[in-house]
Amino acid sequence: MGDLVSRDLKENIEKLKYIFKDTGDIIFRSIDIGRDYKRGACLVYTDGLVNAPSISEHVIQTLFRLDKCDDFDIRYIKSNIMDLLAREAIAIPEVKEEDDLDKIVDAILSGQTALFIDGADKVLILETRGWPNRGVNQPDAETVVRGPRDGFTETLKINMTLIRRRIKDPKLKTVLTTVGRRSKTDVAIMYIEDIVSPEILEEVNKRLNQIDIDAILDSSMLEFLIEDNYLSPFPQIESTERPDSVAASLYEGRVGILVDNSPFALVVPATVGTLTQSSEDYYSRWTIVSVVRFIRLISIFISSLAPALYIAITSFHPGIIPTRLNYYLEASRINVPFPAVVEAFLMEVTLELLRESGSRIAGPIGTTIGIVGGLIIGQAAVEAGIVSPLMIIVVAITTIATFSIPKYEWASGFRFIRFIFMILASILGLYGIMLGAAVTLTHLSRMESFGIPFTAPYSGLGIKEGDLKDTLVKAPIQKFEYRPAFTFPRNRRRMRKR
Amino acid sequence: MQGKNKISNRQIKALLVTTIVGVGVLSLPSDVAIVLNNGGWIGILLGGLISIPFIMVINKLFSIDPGKSFFQISYQVVGRAVTKVFLFIIFSYFIMVLAYTVRLFSEVIKTYLLENTPTEVIILTMLLATAYIARSKIEVLARFAVMIYPIIVGFVIFLLVVNLPNNDFTNILPLFDIDYKLIPRAVYASFFSYAGYEILLFAQHISEDESRSLKYSVGSMFMVIGIYLVIFFITLSRNGIHQLKREIWPTIAVIKEIDLPGYFLENLDGVVMAVWVLVVYATVGPFFYACGVTIAEIFGFNSHKLFIPFLIPLIYIIALIPDNLVTVNEILGSIGNYLNVAAVVIVPIIILIAAYVRKGREKV
Repeated sequence: MGDLVSRDLKENIEKLKYIFKDTGDIIFRSIDIGRDYKRGACLVYTDGLVNAPSISEHVIQTLFRLDKCDDFDIRYIKSNIMDLLAREAIAIPEVKEEDDLDKIVDAILSGQTALFIDGADKVLILETRGWPNRGVNQPDAETVVRGPRDGFTETLKINMTLIRRRIKDPKLKTVLTTVGRRSKTDVAIMYIEDIVSPEILEEVNKRLNQIDIDAILDSSMLEFLIEDNYLSPFPQIESTERPDSVAASLYEGRVGILVDNSPFALVVPATVGTLTQSSEDYYSRWTIVSVVRFIRLISIFISSLAPALYIAITSFHPGIIPTRLNYYLEASRINVPFPAVVEAFLMEVTLELLRESGSRIAGPIGTTIGIVGGLIIGQAAVEAGIVSPLMIIVVAITTIATFSIPKYEWASGFRFIRFIFMILASILGLYGIMLGAAVTLTHLSRMESFGIPFTAPYSGLGIKEGDLKDTLVKAPIQKFEYRPAFTFPRNRRRMRKR
Repeated sequence: MQGKNKISNRQIKALLVTTIVGVGVLSLPSDVAIVLNNGGWIGILLGGLISIPFIMVINKLFSIDPGKSFFQISYQVVGRAVTKVFLFIIFSYFIMVLAYTVRLFSEVIKTYLLENTPTEVIILTMLLATAYIARSKIEVLARFAVMIYPIIVGFVIFLLVVNLPNNDFTNILPLFDIDYKLIPRAVYASFFSYAGYEILLFAQHISEDESRSLKYSVGSMFMVIGIYLVIFFITLSRNGIHQLKREIWPTIAVIKEIDLPGYFLENLDGVVMAVWVLVVYATVGPFFYACGVTIAEIFGFNSHKLFIPFLIPLIYIIALIPDNLVTVNEILGSIGNYLNVAAVVIVPIIILIAAYVRKGREKV
């Protein structure tokens, strides 16, 4: 508990002015209320975070007009003046009384307006937040051909609304907390009360409460702070820009975490199964989606193994591939002065360079980089005999496969281990690759996401209940009578059979 | 969580199958064929069937005090000192099995994948990689096993489908021309290939439904018998008995001859050996884990993680004692086989009998 508000207006204002010393964006607006007997009042708010027209119209003007009312003589009201003002004068939808000075400071900094009145030991906090938002746009990272096109924005309130519009159920709970000693970032924990497993929810609350950091700038920072294994290259929390995806997850008994100032929501628990789902899967016909799911699993293998396999086959096991292909391979590499390892690393590093520069530089120049990288370097490198054309194909397929994994962080994990596999392949060939694969699988098996095995449902949890219906393939919606079992939902039935 | 720190019976089944099926299956067909010719299948069948009562013994052992670990039950029944002796036998058995498996597999890898790499490097990298899974909890081993299980099943189905059109199944006959005096030797030859179900000693007490796990563990045994029989008949029908007896790795020899339509991969043996690295990893991992848990219990430690790195040099040295493949089987194989009988058959039976004697005495 900090200082309490005193009855003396001057003292309060001096205290506040001391706290907000050299803070140019805090506005102190002093006014007098009443006709004969003037009572001092002061509005304190942060410039830019408040809806200024609303303050002048609904607060200042009504306070000025108070003296024109006969039955509202400011002289005789003493103790319950705040209550009376809130009830009869101030036309702001949400107001509350507060007497703790620290909390008042927090409220002012978050865009609310504090109304001090001389002689009252409470302050009226007016909900006047309003600042320029980016409108609800189409999400950049997860686009769909068919399906809703609204994406999260940087404003928590809008994001919560986008989810609420999809779950009109009083059981949808939104618990607000703040994280960050200085940034005081608002964080909303969303879940459906009678579906979510209490253990998962408890774990989320526990981990959020443990955080003691000065600032959270994006949900990804929160993600790194609460995930199970922060040393792993793989994400254990799903992040998405799509409100429909979050809503679907909540219906599955998972917990959504929304962070103010971040257009990415976090969803826990995440598993290998959920990370290979995309929201468009549910808006397309089941047949093609089942095929696509399978292709995604293959693309995981390609994106992590393809260059390593190229190295292993060309330098250790040329006997595995057909002899004629081998002749062609050797012939195309005849001018290449490097061993396959150097060749592969050269191309992979070039590609990472292209990708990095392309994503740092804005639109039109980015296209130039694509042309320079793709056409000139690729073509020229082959003609100069530095790399073989097959290597270019391998690198291209690898990159395309990486992009076909729906979640960016999940794909980045495989992008990272690709280099480890390349090193292993150059030392121990196929044997090294398979040892690496075994260790990677072990690593995935060891990981847990909020107490749920990360490899679910492929590692056992939920196979019996039929979770493979929505991970390995995607069955028609009629077959999803029950929620997935890996989240241990309290209420399993999702649909009545016709 | 409702399912936390528990493994399901399906996971136990997968764990048993992946632990049992490892290097043994690569040489098993010729091992039994050398003894019994065409009747080798009976050695495989009996070797598996004989193992089932021992699984039942282990299962009974846990029903003495459901929910307790093997160590706790043993302490309770035969006391601390005797248990430590038993544990030492089990520990030396695991060390032998590990050394045998790792050495054998390194020879296979050397033959089919990495001709020029020293055996030492292959053994060491294998041990280092498996140390990672051995340091995990048993739940992790079970999860890993479930993901490897389809590879084994898929391999057998693949072998069956690809070979069906080409094989001459009259090679199998005569089925019952068996010299009955040699059956015990054939069983002895196949028995070691069924080693691995003792991982139950470390897994069953955290099963979700302990009362029904016997069904699954016996089921997994039948699964393994089926896999071994299918592979035996495929290798036999492919090349006939005389060539089978000459092969060291008949299973790989069969794969080598497969010509896939479409002509994308020329030598499948390299690919299959690469995939088999995962399967052997899933065999060595549980043994390594069990070995670590046993030594940790002997020294009275709760966590086995600390011991795993120290076991690597020990296994490495023992694995390198034999000079060549023949002596690997002679030294490591036979010692392992005797210790297998001691650790997996005799020790549980003694504990079980002791428990019954105690119970009887308490009633009197």
